[in-house]
Amino acid sequence: MVLTMYLSRLVLPLKWTRAISTSVVNNGKRNFRKFLLHNKRGSRSFKEERKKLKGNEPTDVPVYHYGVRPTGYHDAKGNFIAVPEMIPELMVPDLTDFKLKPYVSYRVPDVVQSEFTAQDLFDAVYSRKIVEDFKNNKLDSNGNPTEPSEEEALTPEEAKERARRTGSDIFEY
Amino acid sequence: MRLTLLLFENVGELTKKYANLPERYIKRSMEQVYWKTPNAIQYLPRTVQRKKFRFTTNRPWTYQFLQQNERGTHRKKVFVEPILEWSIFRGDRVQVLVGRDKGKQGIVSRVIQERNWVLVQGLNCHMRFTGKDKDFPGVAVLSEAPLLVTNQVSLVDPSDLLPTKIEWRFTEEGERVRVSERTGRIIPMPLMADETHDYKSKSAYKESPKDTVESELTKITFSPTLRTFEMDVMNEMEKKEENVTNVADVPS
Repeated sequence: MVLTMYLSRLVLPLKWTRAISTSVVNNGKRNFRKFLLHNKRGSRSFKEERKKLKGNEPTDVPVYHYGVRPTGYHDAKGNFIAVPEMIPELMVPDLTDFKLKPYVSYRVPDVVQSEFTAQDLFDAVYSRKIVEDFKNNKLDSNGNPTEPSEEEALTPEEAKERARRTGSDIFEY
Repeated sequence: MRLTLLLFENVGELTKKYANLPERYIKRSMEQVYWKTPNAIQYLPRTVQRKKFRFTTNRPWTYQFLQQNERGTHRKKVFVEPILEWSIFRGDRVQVLVGRDKGKQGIVSRVIQERNWVLVQGLNCHMRFTGKDKDFPGVAVLSEAPLLVTNQVSLVDPSDLLPTKIEWRFTEEGERVRVSERTGRIIPMPLMADETHDYKSKSAYKESPKDTVESELTKITFSPTLRTFEMDVMNEMEKKEENVTNVADVPS
């Protein structure tokens, strides 16, 4: 295929033919080393062109933060508004009289524990009351308790609200 | 198969065990990554790194190993016979079968599994001069040369102190032991085999102030409650935050 292209060039020397990569040599065109041109990378002309684009399609040229999470947001004008709650607060407990240390001695035998599943948590929190209610006939026809405890009266929405009240970001979507 | 896994697999089990270093550390200190594709969606995860290492008596995480395997150095490949069941350990009594010390018995001081080598204390030695200067001839040091486990060294039967071939068999209790083929006597595992850089044996380890003791480790202090980790922590700290800016409400 390369040979025929060269031959065509010889026949029509003044005509500029556009070459198409079809040969094996050009299969290695996967070197994208220079294609991440974020922030200050790229030539001056490239950055000038990019500045013109920025107003129209800001999502095309977002600023690359290298994985650093923001502690605020940008308003319509572009000003950055800091949100103090977005700054992570390290809650470090008091470690006086705390016996567990960073390392474990080699003399210790292997501790094997089974997995603590959601079922185990349910059993630990609810099972005793359920058994007592059953014995004292305090369950109605559907099996629900007639005198629910605080945990039993909890609805899923209320439980989620309680968890979110801590201000943690694990429920962020 | 992943390249890094292949490279790391060359490091022997006994080497890792003696070092007592985390495997991730050994892998990380060994590898020489020359270029790595950036972490972006248009790139496939590829690395340009050194694939062939020359293993020596210097351990893979040392600076001397790095010097010997510097970027650009190419060494001829050393063909190492793959041994399925490694039978000679640190502290074993072995007889040297070749060289100047042929027929002598000694105790294994180092095992280098990557080259099928064994260094016997005081045997198969040569003199070398370290710290040579213009005026100073250097300090004479007696250093052992490594011996191949396959045909240059042989385990010694403790009953008659003669070299013997061994087989791995199971005792009645189910323990895997080495048995001398000639006499049938069990060759016990030497005590030095348990040794690592940090301790001579696990029971002889001296606990430091930063070590958790067994009595504290085996205590169960967990009581299951219907709280998330954050709620638990807040409960401990006795903080009740009610007016919190929810992150979802912040305009993006």
